[in-house]
Amino acid sequence: MIERSSFFDFVTYAVMALGLVIIITPFWIVLVAASLSLPEVARVPLTLWPSSHLMENLSAAWSRADLGPKLLNTLVVAGGVTIGKITIAALSAFSIVFFNYRARMLCFWLIFLTLMLPLEVRIVPTYSIAANALLPFQALLDATGITSLVETIAGIRIELNWNLLNSYTGLILPLIATATGTFLYRQFFMTIPDELVEASKMDGSGPMRFFFEVLIPLSRTNMLALATIMFVSSWNQYLWPLLVTTDRPNYGTVVMELKALIPAQNGTPDWNVTMAGALLVMLPPLLVVAFMQRWFVRGLITKDK
Amino acid sequence: MKRNWLLSTLTASMLALTASSSLAAPVKFEFWYGLSGDLSERIQDMCKAFNASQQDYEIVCVSQETYENNLQNTIAAFRAKKQPAVTQISDGGTLDLMLSGAYLPVRELMEKNGYQIDWNNYFSGIASYYSSPKGELLSMPFNSSTAMIYYNTDALKAVGFEGLPKTWSEVEKVARDMKAKGYDCPVAFDPTGVWQWFEQFSAIHNQPIATKGNGYEGLDAEVTFNKTKFVDQLTWIKKMYDEGLFVNKSKAVGETANDAFVNGKCQITSSSIADHGTFGKQAIKDMHWEVAMLPMLDGFPRTNSLVGGASLWTLRGKSEEEYKGVAAFFNFLAQPDQAEWWSTVTGYIPVTNTGFQAMKAKGFYDNAPYKGRELAIESLTATPPTEYTRGVRLGNFNAIRKEIGDAMQAVLFNDKPVQQALDDAAARSNEILRRFEKTYKGASLN
Amino acid sequence: MERRAHYRNRVLPWLLIAPQLILVLVFFYWPTSQALYWAFTLEQAWGGGNEWVGFDNFMGVFGDGRYWSTVGRSAVYAAAATGISMGIALVLALFVDRGLKGTKIFQSVFIWPYALAAPVVGVAFRFIFSPQAGMIGSLNRIWPGIWDPATNGLHALIMVIISHAWLSIGYNFVFFLAALQMIPRSIAEAGAMDGARPARRMLDLQLPLIAPTTFFLLIMNIISTFTDSFGLIDTMTEGGPIGSTEVMVYKIYYDGFKSLDYSGAAAQSIVLMLIVITLTFVQFKWVERRIHYT
Repeated sequence: MIERSSFFDFVTYAVMALGLVIIITPFWIVLVAASLSLPEVARVPLTLWPSSHLMENLSAAWSRADLGPKLLNTLVVAGGVTIGKITIAALSAFSIVFFNYRARMLCFWLIFLTLMLPLEVRIVPTYSIAANALLPFQALLDATGITSLVETIAGIRIELNWNLLNSYTGLILPLIATATGTFLYRQFFMTIPDELVEASKMDGSGPMRFFFEVLIPLSRTNMLALATIMFVSSWNQYLWPLLVTTDRPNYGTVVMELKALIPAQNGTPDWNVTMAGALLVMLPPLLVVAFMQRWFVRGLITKDK
Repeated sequence: MKRNWLLSTLTASMLALTASSSLAAPVKFEFWYGLSGDLSERIQDMCKAFNASQQDYEIVCVSQETYENNLQNTIAAFRAKKQPAVTQISDGGTLDLMLSGAYLPVRELMEKNGYQIDWNNYFSGIASYYSSPKGELLSMPFNSSTAMIYYNTDALKAVGFEGLPKTWSEVEKVARDMKAKGYDCPVAFDPTGVWQWFEQFSAIHNQPIATKGNGYEGLDAEVTFNKTKFVDQLTWIKKMYDEGLFVNKSKAVGETANDAFVNGKCQITSSSIADHGTFGKQAIKDMHWEVAMLPMLDGFPRTNSLVGGASLWTLRGKSEEEYKGVAAFFNFLAQPDQAEWWSTVTGYIPVTNTGFQAMKAKGFYDNAPYKGRELAIESLTATPPTEYTRGVRLGNFNAIRKEIGDAMQAVLFNDKPVQQALDDAAARSNEILRRFEKTYKGASLN
Repeated sequence: MERRAHYRNRVLPWLLIAPQLILVLVFFYWPTSQALYWAFTLEQAWGGGNEWVGFDNFMGVFGDGRYWSTVGRSAVYAAAATGISMGIALVLALFVDRGLKGTKIFQSVFIWPYALAAPVVGVAFRFIFSPQAGMIGSLNRIWPGIWDPATNGLHALIMVIISHAWLSIGYNFVFFLAALQMIPRSIAEAGAMDGARPARRMLDLQLPLIAPTTFFLLIMNIISTFTDSFGLIDTMTEGGPIGSTEVMVYKIYYDGFKSLDYSGAAAQSIVLMLIVITLTFVQFKWVERRIHYT
């Protein structure tokens, strides 16, 4: 048993309480501001106690930004990214860690490098890809002369075209194309003892059986951690949805709607409605993190399995 | 769902067989624009009216929130060959688009589709802004405005000023009197408002912004704003700011100049005539205010101000059928009743002589809430456009605007000497221009 | 770290990795290679054509004093945001790890910031730090001009850095806590037997043991200040006043997307990429070594 020091316990609580204040204050202010009326929110100094207008501000934000369908859209996108990512990343990490082929380190680095350049700085060329996801293949066909060959023989011009603008696919696929998941799985798979693989081989079971019967059950907590990370980050995407969705009413997501709620666009400085909107937008990922936190922390501990 | 689709296809083809082909589904085309809020609603109304007025074409109108967003998204879409047929581009992006060859000149479009439009009827200041140097109109004038000054007449009365100030020295006097009377914020100043505080100031005083006729005569133009009356004007603004007569109001402060004006916190603001309608709706109860042409420096004759707002560009790469629709839409916009409706519900000015005369004859401008808007036309047509007031034709002009805005802020907030700030901004602007010239090497303005 | 037990199969590994590889090639490498090409040309905004200029764009970038101040600002931003955030998160994690009664409540709250989108935090903090409304507004009533991020560049930078630091507390806290909980109980108890005071134990025992995590977080945080600062800056200051909150990513976005200088932005993004790759490479080597030696 570790001995207790009452003085040090006091310090512990004091520090944690201070941390609580630091973390909670912004949340509290958002909540308070969201509950004020327009004259109250304009008053200086701001009151630190909630007023009674929370529901009306929430409904104002809800209807002004049309949050109902937008929340649904965001849920579809975040869900799609999470599921797609967990699946694809598990498969690719499995391939890299448990198979012995020459190009695997090259493949890993190819995937890993995608973390280095954020979407914001390559946004225009990425848009072209979203407008026609088959562009690289078309270029390949053109460059190898297949296009002109087919054209002279069959008289048909090959035009590959797959438009992802204004679609859930366009919102989801580019977000799956990052390395976070693969990297996390890889780190975990590397801690799986060789003996497990050997034992599985002895049983005469193939790699896919090993994957489904040994690896997947073992990595359940990691998957939950990854799911949390992916859900939160795709929920919070901002610039990409702004660019690929011109059809806002049908495919808009909530975070981009939030910017439309910032005053100065429409005149009155109704920060109370903006804050109510912020509250609604941040709630779902907050619930996910709060609910998943037990597995979240454990899923990151990769060694004590 | 599927059966429905089949059924409708069948019926459609049956109809097509029996009746003429015009009964088929209307041709759809997209129109992207950069306005939001109330103005966006009005554009949607306009689109509905166009769709209801005929059966052959259907316009789909998409708001991109701001001019800037619309320009960026249109470019991205154009590069990906997913561009709308019509897009609304503001003055800052005009030259890039002109040199790109990505558009169809409006005059050609209308002639080809058999519409007769009297182009000489458009106000010359407006036509010259959107024309090639040869005088061919390239885009359809749409929402046009110019910069004005707005006064809270209650405050003017309180300091005993008769009428409205016409010169900057009068503005200085009333501002000082207001301060003495206890008004915290006599003049709201938005340091990012380069358009009204710099460009329009230069135009009405006939001061060059750049050589080569503000860039109209060649891509090798150089900016000159660090050698004109604007240097004195910025020095004066700095003095006013330091005395607390000009107060910084902008998005960054959390309250824009316009908000501060309609809330009664600031008594004078300079803004577009397009805000005239909004001010009418938003001004607090019992507040009295009036609009006037921008004040002058003492001893300067007034030249015409620059047209602001945006125009409609037809983009290449669409089908002939869609262009027919676009032409029909432009023709619809040019109809007198439609033009009148548009300038009534917004604050934008009518763009043709006859449109303006008709509204004037009807007594539109005689009473509130529309009284005062005719001053915008007076300002735009004060003189025939001169070398320096027909417009600004500089590459990447949005970036140059930002340099000037940064210079104004550096002077105000960081006490950078005026001449040095403007010299630096000019040097950087010229770098931008040279880079632009190199990018479009071989391209000419015609 | 090399595994000894492997599966052998000619086709299967390629099938497994194919979906990820295809996505990465289509949505990352294809567009990035295009940006790379632009860096060596002068690209017309509307796509009308371009001209090969070799390293001119890079010369332009490196010869621009404002670019270097952006780099310097990014470094300050990275150091300050990372330092503040990791410092607070570490202290909180150390105390939460003591597992006193009621700690669970604190623990769950400390993770909250992780869930928030940068633009949401930006909007909230912009309101909190607004010179005329909000909380700080009352400070300005007492001492006018003491806080004004709208006109004072330093204040604006501080405001963005604090927001960034706050935003990443949750993430850092989770990793620190996970690392601390991995330390075997026996080590701590052995320390207690030696009579070490709790505070001493933290410094002498726990900190060295979580050094690998600390290092990992350090790199991740620095990368995140380069790549994730966009959402905050765009909603809070848009790089102003007078460019005083313009960091590298924001400048690339602004120059390329808003000022339509695709080529200059492309050259800058290559420089940024090289910096981030170097940082990551260092970190990667470290992670590999850690697995090897423990």
